[in-house]
Amino acid sequence: MNKLAKLFITFVSAITLALASISSSFAKVEDGMIVLGSAISLTGKYSSNGVHTQNGYNLAVDRINKMGGVKVGGKSYKFEIIYYDDESNPKRAAQLAERLIKQDGVHYMLGPYSSGLTKAIAPVTEKYKIPMVEANGASRSLFTKGYKYLFAVLSPANQYLEVAIDLAVEKNGGKPVKIAQAFEQDAFSQDVRLGILDAAKRTGSKIIIDDKLPKELNDMAATLAKVKATKPDVLVVSGHTKGALTAIRQISEMKVDVPMLAMTHCDAAKLSKQHGKKSEYALCASQWHKNLSYKDKFFGTGKKYDKDFKKEFGYAPPYQSAESSAALLVFKDAFERANSFDRDKVRDALKATEMQTFYGNIKFGPGGQNTAKPMILFQVRCKGDVCENKVVAPTKWASDKFFHPIPPWSERG
Amino acid sequence: MEKVKQKDLILYSGLIILGLAAPYLFSAFKVQLTYLCVLIVLAMTWNLQGGEMGYNSFGNILFYGLGMYLTASVQVGMFFPLAEWTESGGEKTFVHTTAQYFQGIGVGLLVSAIIPAIVAGAIGYAILGLRGHYFAICTLGLGIAAGEIAGGIEIIGAGQGFTTPPFPAEIVDVEARGKFFYFLSFFVLVLAFVFVKYIYGSRFRLILNAIRDNEDKAEAMGIQTMKYKIVGWMVSAFFCGLAGGIMGGLIGYIDSTDVAFDGREMGVFMVLMAILGGKGTLWGPIIGATLFHFFKEGLWTFILGWQYVALGVLIVVIVIYFPEGLMGWLREKYPERFGEVIDEKDRKSQVELK
Repeated sequence: MNKLAKLFITFVSAITLALASISSSFAKVEDGMIVLGSAISLTGKYSSNGVHTQNGYNLAVDRINKMGGVKVGGKSYKFEIIYYDDESNPKRAAQLAERLIKQDGVHYMLGPYSSGLTKAIAPVTEKYKIPMVEANGASRSLFTKGYKYLFAVLSPANQYLEVAIDLAVEKNGGKPVKIAQAFEQDAFSQDVRLGILDAAKRTGSKIIIDDKLPKELNDMAATLAKVKATKPDVLVVSGHTKGALTAIRQISEMKVDVPMLAMTHCDAAKLSKQHGKKSEYALCASQWHKNLSYKDKFFGTGKKYDKDFKKEFGYAPPYQSAESSAALLVFKDAFERANSFDRDKVRDALKATEMQTFYGNIKFGPGGQNTAKPMILFQVRCKGDVCENKVVAPTKWASDKFFHPIPPWSERG
Repeated sequence: MEKVKQKDLILYSGLIILGLAAPYLFSAFKVQLTYLCVLIVLAMTWNLQGGEMGYNSFGNILFYGLGMYLTASVQVGMFFPLAEWTESGGEKTFVHTTAQYFQGIGVGLLVSAIIPAIVAGAIGYAILGLRGHYFAICTLGLGIAAGEIAGGIEIIGAGQGFTTPPFPAEIVDVEARGKFFYFLSFFVLVLAFVFVKYIYGSRFRLILNAIRDNEDKAEAMGIQTMKYKIVGWMVSAFFCGLAGGIMGGLIGYIDSTDVAFDGREMGVFMVLMAILGGKGTLWGPIIGATLFHFFKEGLWTFILGWQYVALGVLIVVIVIYFPEGLMGWLREKYPERFGEVIDEKDRKSQVELK
């Protein structure tokens, strides 16, 4: 046998040995630690929201650990999270979920950011019967697959902007409205679109523009040109953070006048900071707002959470962070009620969750979605140069009146 | 073809045994091993027209994505209405029985190999007249366009994505799915290897090389270059389609631009792997894909958030220090070894000399 072949065989056997020695998986609960796994978008198109999610998780882990950890069987355990970067790519996410479960021995998962990635991970966690509490996958189709180990602390995506259409109809004196809409081609935004379609049907409204926007959304001038020409009553845009930023940037550049602008992800995009007065009057769907009156013993109220989060990370928490923190509270609660690390017992405990957190009430429906918490709408309002998100619906928490219609650009300073 | 030499026989049977035993030896790494098989198939078949024929294609991802969508569509469409399955937020649940699942994926994979090959033939007829950079840019456009188009077709889920049928629940063993996809991909790998190896021993490869080295001269020699170029690309497409079909089933969720027509990742990786290992060689793409996969899986974990910087550095290092790939570098360093490995007559004469 020649040298090259020998070298090759040595190489292969070395790798074989190395792999075989590390393939035995670690225990999921060791040294008083409960290890959770999560694939998070730290790079790629969802990187900003991925970081919001991760910050939310980390803040809650710190807080719970500091306040005594999780008590199971009379012993106190601390949370620890293993993160991988899924690169905003479903293929990578599915692979990493497998890796977390099989190689790192994780028995409990936290969700990734975005519906598409959650859709890719859910079949894996389901296969291995790993309970996953997710905070950022809102697509309705996640909850119609009969998944038994998937729990979402948020309201499904189709509920995001339905209310906005009702509001537009109400402002139009109960008469149907003309809707222009543009949605990114991804699972979440397309689900928001379904919600609008339902609302349009219900109210008899007409959809006059129905555009699809590419991922990596940087330009929607074509849609806006059409909006300028056809003058709809309401413009709906959804495309994660980039969609919100692009919409405001181009609407102000092109001076598009539309009486009502409904969007998602305004707070994650820090619209009121980044675009200031240009973003005024934008109506945004949100899972959470700091002014809501929920509370829990870990974070106190929403306002307190807002303060603590700002102190830790230097920016106001978008709802993506709040819901992520809530996911940890749900896990802690379930572990303590199950009083066991048996995965099926934990799953049953999760299923029976009924609690209040600073983020909202949480109770899981049959598909795993949170049925106890309504969506809210806020509107960006400015005083001088300082812009803020003011809750306008539902009326129970509304701090301000909904301002309608948006004044034309010619009258805006 | 000459009869397989004893040394090769040992090597091949060793590799096959290793391949068959791998999912049992490294049970936890089944998914990564499946990826490895698929990556090798992609690199090896890209090398056929990229390395041997000299037509650098960034568009092979088109066939990969096509295969993925086709397999999933056939697997669903054979038993249920496809439109209702993919309907975004569809409330209905359809469940494949075990038999349906395997019949579906079998037929699906067959379709996913044949149709991309036909498509490659049709597109190839149109664009293989382009040469050099023009061809590369044109194929780059193909992959991107396919992603955007697929993202607009409702029946395959459009922007919502396409959830492929879940592995039958009646099979209780949680390892079964991993094993199934591993062996499937390993089988395709062996198939692709045998085929490529056969091509390496045939006149067809010499013609492809002639096209690469001087197309006009090849034409002047009476070779119908267009015909061979098309066939070469069709072979690539055939295996890319198969690889895509397997990946679709393995990932479980198809997204138009991020999973299927993923030119930014898979499309670039297959080129990179072939170049890393050394294009225009039989083993180069295989070694390249393996090293690349190890590098990716190993380093990605430790440099969280910086992996693409590392990948960029890797590309720069490859281009500067190994422009001919690892095999090219080795060949330059130890030409006599390569004489032994590649050219049988030469090997014998070398042995006699010793």
